[in-house]
This record gives sequence, structure tokens and C-alpha cells, in this order.
Amino acid sequence: MKRKATVNTIDWPAVHRRMKATSEVLEREFEPDPAALTAILQRRAEAIARAPTLEDSGELLEVVEFVLAHERYALESAYIREVCPLKTLTPLPCVPSFLFGVVNVHGQIVSVIDLKRFFGLPLTGLPDLNKVIILHDGAMAFGVLADQILGATTVPLASLQDALPTLTGIRAEYLKGIAPGRLIVLDGAALLRDPDLVVNEEVL
Amino acid sequence: MRFSISAKLWAAFIPILLVIVVVGSSAYQNTRKLVDTAQWVAHTHIVVGQLTDMLSALQDAETGQRGYLITGEDRYLEPYNSAGPKLDAAMRNLKTLTADNPEQQKRLASISPLADAKLVELKETIDLRRNKGFEVARSVVLSDRGKKAMDDIRVLTSEMGNAESALLKIREEEAKASTQTAFITIVVGFLIAAALVIAAAIFLGQHIGGPLKEVTAAAEQISSGDLSLDLTQTARTDEIGTLTRTFAQMQEALRAIASITERVAAGDLSVQPTPQSDKDVLGNAVTSMVLNLREMTREILNGINVLAGSAAEIQAGMTQIASGAQETATSIGETSSTAEEVKQTAMVSSQKAKSVSEAAQKVTLVSQTGRKAVDDVVEGMQRIHDQMALIADSIVRLSEQTQAIGEIIATVNDLAEQSNLLAVNASIEAAKAGEHGKGFAVVAQEVKSLAEQSKQATVQVRQILGEIQKATSGAVLATEQGGKAVEGGLKQSSEAGDAIRVLTESIVESAQSATQIAVSAQQQLAGMDQLALALDNIRTAGAQNIASARQAETAAQNLHSLGQTLKDMLARYKL
Repeated sequence: MKRKATVNTIDWPAVHRRMKATSEVLEREFEPDPAALTAILQRRAEAIARAPTLEDSGELLEVVEFVLAHERYALESAYIREVCPLKTLTPLPCVPSFLFGVVNVHGQIVSVIDLKRFFGLPLTGLPDLNKVIILHDGAMAFGVLADQILGATTVPLASLQDALPTLTGIRAEYLKGIAPGRLIVLDGAALLRDPDLVVNEEVL
Repeated sequence: MRFSISAKLWAAFIPILLVIVVVGSSAYQNTRKLVDTAQWVAHTHIVVGQLTDMLSALQDAETGQRGYLITGEDRYLEPYNSAGPKLDAAMRNLKTLTADNPEQQKRLASISPLADAKLVELKETIDLRRNKGFEVARSVVLSDRGKKAMDDIRVLTSEMGNAESALLKIREEEAKASTQTAFITIVVGFLIAAALVIAAAIFLGQHIGGPLKEVTAAAEQISSGDLSLDLTQTARTDEIGTLTRTFAQMQEALRAIASITERVAAGDLSVQPTPQSDKDVLGNAVTSMVLNLREMTREILNGINVLAGSAAEIQAGMTQIASGAQETATSIGETSSTAEEVKQTAMVSSQKAKSVSEAAQKVTLVSQTGRKAVDDVVEGMQRIHDQMALIADSIVRLSEQTQAIGEIIATVNDLAEQSNLLAVNASIEAAKAGEHGKGFAVVAQEVKSLAEQSKQATVQVRQILGEIQKATSGAVLATEQGGKAVEGGLKQSSEAGDAIRVLTESIVESAQSATQIAVSAQQQLAGMDQLALALDNIRTAGAQNIASARQAETAAQNLHSLGQTLKDMLARYKL
């Protein structure tokens, strides 16, 4: 029984060549090609050079856009102090379920509200809930949990549409309008003023 | 002649006997007388000797007495003391010896008191000497009492001796006269006897010796086989005549037997001999001889017939044996050539076995090399296995590094997230700043864009890491399979090694068997040599057998012709 001795022979020189090339690439400490670099810079320059086209179409509303339960929401930038990642959350006992807990933001203890529970949205999927949007109006400040912060943007007020007739209840009370692209713009002022959010339960 | 030979013999020998009787009786008488005389002479000498003894005993006693009387010492009494018993013994003997002679008895009786008196005198003197001294004893001696007694004794003793001598003389005279007479008688008797013997010899020689000589000569002739002598008929009536007639009868009988024997010798076995009596040994013997010869001849004839038949059969058998031996020789030749072929075969098988043994030894070496190679393979496999373990380890470490990269990427992602938030915050701040914050808002937007790019980059890196992870998992899997394959190879190599070991052992056994076969083939060869030798011997023996069979055939032919000859010979006998 004579077997073929040359079957499945490993081309060790090729392997060594490939390994060497890889290590060389790594040694270059991730320097993009001059061409790629140029392309990136070109794109950025073009982006910056592009003039905003919708600036003159009326009053603009500065909002911060975020994702909650796979839906895009937005809050007015005027009521937002900052956004920050959710860290060191301290749950509170004997509070309504929408009150998620308290966090320390720059030395200030701020309560965090889960809008999904507050609005009674369905708890489908696994939410990230790792971002906090701090709302304030001078008298009141609290945090709202968000799955993802999409960024600050402007929404023309004129483009805002009324809420759908099907939207009733709590969500209707805090809704400012729906911007194009199914962006739900929440009324920050209404949220801050809402007495339901003030928790003052006495537990014996 | 009317007297028998015994009567004649008696008549011849009786006168001689009478003469011998007369002479013998005379000699007997004379000899007796001489013996008596010699006895009486001896008697006389004994009597004289005893008388002398008696006298000497008395003299001894007297000598002892005298010595004592003179000396007075007891040792001189020794002869005296011993004289008593001697005297007594002499007296007793004399009394016995002269018992037949009254005169001598009378004299002895007269001596006895004298001897006693002498002894009394001696004793008296000795006692006196001992008790009263010498003089008194001397006076007794001087009285001559003892001397007188002694003299008397001497006289008497002398008389007795003379008387005896006289008697002796008379007896000697008588003996002499008797001897003379006897001498004369013997001489005369001898002469008469001699004359008588001569006369008897002449008579007996003439009347008995002559005829006996004639008969003896005839007997000699008969004993030498001559039966032709014609014995003259004699008229004698005594034993000689009878003897002669008996001899004639015997000769006649012998002649009859001789004629019968002659006829038998001539081949006529039909004769009928008649024995003269039951005690006729010769006649009976001849009769039984003829009968036996007849019977024997008959049997011999039968035997010869059988012999002739047997000889013919033997001849036929021998012919067959000879042809059989020829066939045997041919067969032995074939067997011998077959044995030679077997020997060649054994030689070939021996060489084959030898070459097989050598080949087996070579194969043993090869199998040992194979075992070593398999051992090397096992070792190499072990090394490969170790290398595989190293590879797996490296890959695992690579995987861990990938994990570390993932963690770094996670950190980068986090940073991008934070940058994003920071950009959002900056935008918020820019919005708060109103018209002045417009440029800042752009910067914030740019920062946000970068952060998002970073995030996308991290996502890409994560994907790559995922691929790397998959690749490493695949590599680990491949390495594992490789390790398993190597283990399988290791096991198979071990099995191959075991198989080769078993093979080696088998080959060693085969080599030993081949060696044994070679030895056996050698032995077979030797056996075949011996067989060839034995066959050669058998061939020689067969040739000898053929020669012997031929000889036996010739012998059988001779036997056959002998039987024929015997038959011809026996045909001459009339049964």
C-alpha cells in the first residue's frame, strides 16, 4: 500500500510571506493610505462646505434625537442640560415602577425615569437603556432613559404635525408633534411640569 | 572208555592228596612238640630268674642290716626296707610257676620258713642295734643263726635251679628226636608226591588234552568263518565225544544260516529261515533281519518313490525360486534407482531448507529494520503530537489575544460612544449659545461624525475579530483532529510495531523450523545413503540367492537321478 507522500503539503513559504505581510501592516501603526486620507479629508471638506438649505424655511426647533424601544424620539435642546451614559444607577425602593433609580451627575443626585414604563409602551426586545438625557428648567431636573442618542438636530416647527388620533392618554399629553421621518417630538416643558412625576409617597 | 573225565581226574589227584596229608600231619606234630619245648625252656629261665631275685632280695636285706649295724644310721636301712616286698613277690611267682612240679613245691615250702627266720633274725638285730647298741646286736649275729639260715636257703635254691636245668635237658632231647622223624617223613612224602604228579600229568595229557586240541582247532576254523571242515564222527561217549558232536551240529546250523545269508545277499528276500529254538539268538536274529530287510526294502522303495516325486517338485520349485529371485533382483534394481531419486529429492529439499533458513535470517534482519523504522515512526508521531499540542497552545493564546483585542475594541467603542455623547452635549451647548454657537455646532457635528466612524471601525474590527475567532476555532478543531489523527497514527504504528514483532517472532520460528527441516533433510539423506547401501546388500544377496537357486536346481536334478538309480537298484530285490 503505497500512499501519495505529497498530498496536502503545506506551502510553508507562502504562509511565512503572508504572516510577514500582516506583521508589516500592523507595524505601520494604522496609518491610512495617503489616498484614503485624502478621500476622507475631501469628504469632510465637502460636508463642511455644503450650505444648509433649509435655514430660511421658517423657525427651527433645536432638538436632541434619541431612540427608545425602536422608535425615534426627540426632546427640545432648550430643556436638555446634557446627555451622559448611565453609570452607577442606584435603584430606589418603594417608588413607582417608572422611577428607575437615581444617578450622580457632576455631584448632583438626579432621579431617572423610564419613559417606556411611564408611557406604557410595550417592553419588546432587549433595550440598551444605557443613556440618560438630563432635563431641566431651573425648577426641576431629572433624567430620562434612552436606548441610543442619535444626536442634536433641528426640526422646522412648521413641519410638525399633530399627534395621531390613536395616540391618547399620557403619550398625547406630552407630545409636541411628529416631525417628518416618524420622529416623535416630546414636549420637554410638559414633562418637567407634570406632577405625576413628582414622587412623594409616604411609606409607613 | 567208560569212565568220565571227572572220574579220571579224581583217580589222578587222590593219591597225591593222601601223601600231602601224611606229610602235613607229621610236620604238624613235630612243630607242636618244638613249640612246647620252647615254652618249657622259657619257663625254666623264668624260674631260675625268680630264684636269683629271691636270693638277691635276701642279700639286699642282709646288706642293709649290716650297714645299719656298723653305722647305726637309718639311711643304710634303705636296701633292707625295699627287700621285703621284693622277696614276697619272688616267692609268689615261684609258687605259681612251679605249681605243676610237686618236688619243686616241696623245696619252695622248705625255703619259705628259712627266709622268714632270716628276716626275723635281721629285724631282731636291727631292733637290738637301735635299742641296745652294737655289741648286743653283734652277739646275735655272731650266734650264726642268720648265716645258717642263709646257707640253707642257698643250698635249696641251688637244688631248685639244678632240677629245672635237668628237666630242660630231657625236654630238649625229646624235641630233637621228634624233629628228626619229621624231616624223614617230609622228604619221603615229597618224593612220593612228585612221582604221583608226573604220572597224573602224562595220563591226563594223553586222554583229555589230545581230543580237546582237535576240537579247539575245529573251533578256530569255525571262528575264522571256515565251515568246510568235516568233523570225524567219534565213538567216544565221554564229554569230549559229546563236544565233538555238538561242534558238528553247530557247524551244520551255521552252514544253514550262511546259505540263507548268501541268498539274501544275492537279493532274494523271499527266504524263510527257521530258528532251531526260541533261544537260537543267531537264527532269530537272521529271521528278524530278513523280515526287517524285507520291510525296510519295501519302505525304501516307497521312500525312493516319494524321493523321486519330491526331487521333481523341488526341481520345479527351484526353477520358480530362480525366476522369482531374478524378478526380485529386477525389483531391487528399480527400488535402488527410486532410492537414488529420493536421495536426490532429499538433497534438493535440504538445499531448499538451507536457503529458506538463510532467507528467514535475512527476513529477520529486514523485520528488525522494519521494527526500528516503526519505532522511529512512533517517535516521530510522538514529536508531531507534541508539536500539535504546541500549535494548539499557540492558537489558544492567539484566541486569548483576540479576546484582549476585543476588550480593547470594546473600550474604543465605549470611547466612541462617549465622544458621541460629548458631541451631542456640545451641540446642545451650541444650541443654547444661539447664533454664536453655530460654528461650534458644526464642530460638534463633526466630532459626532468622527465618533460614529470610530464606532463603525470598531464594528468592522469586531467582525474581523469574529472571523479570527472562527478561524482560530477552526484551527483548534483542525489541530484537535490532527492530534487525534496523530494519536491514531501512533496507535497504528504501535500496532504495526507489534505486528512486525509478531512477524519477527514468526520468522524466527520459521527460521528455526527451516533449520530443523534442513537437519531432517540431512538425516533423510544419510538414511537414504544407508538405504542405498542396504539395497546394494540385498542385491548382492539376491544374486547369491539366484546362484544358490541354480545350484539347488542342479542338486534337485541330481537328487532326481539318484532316486532313479536307487529305484533301479531296489528293483533287483525280490520281495
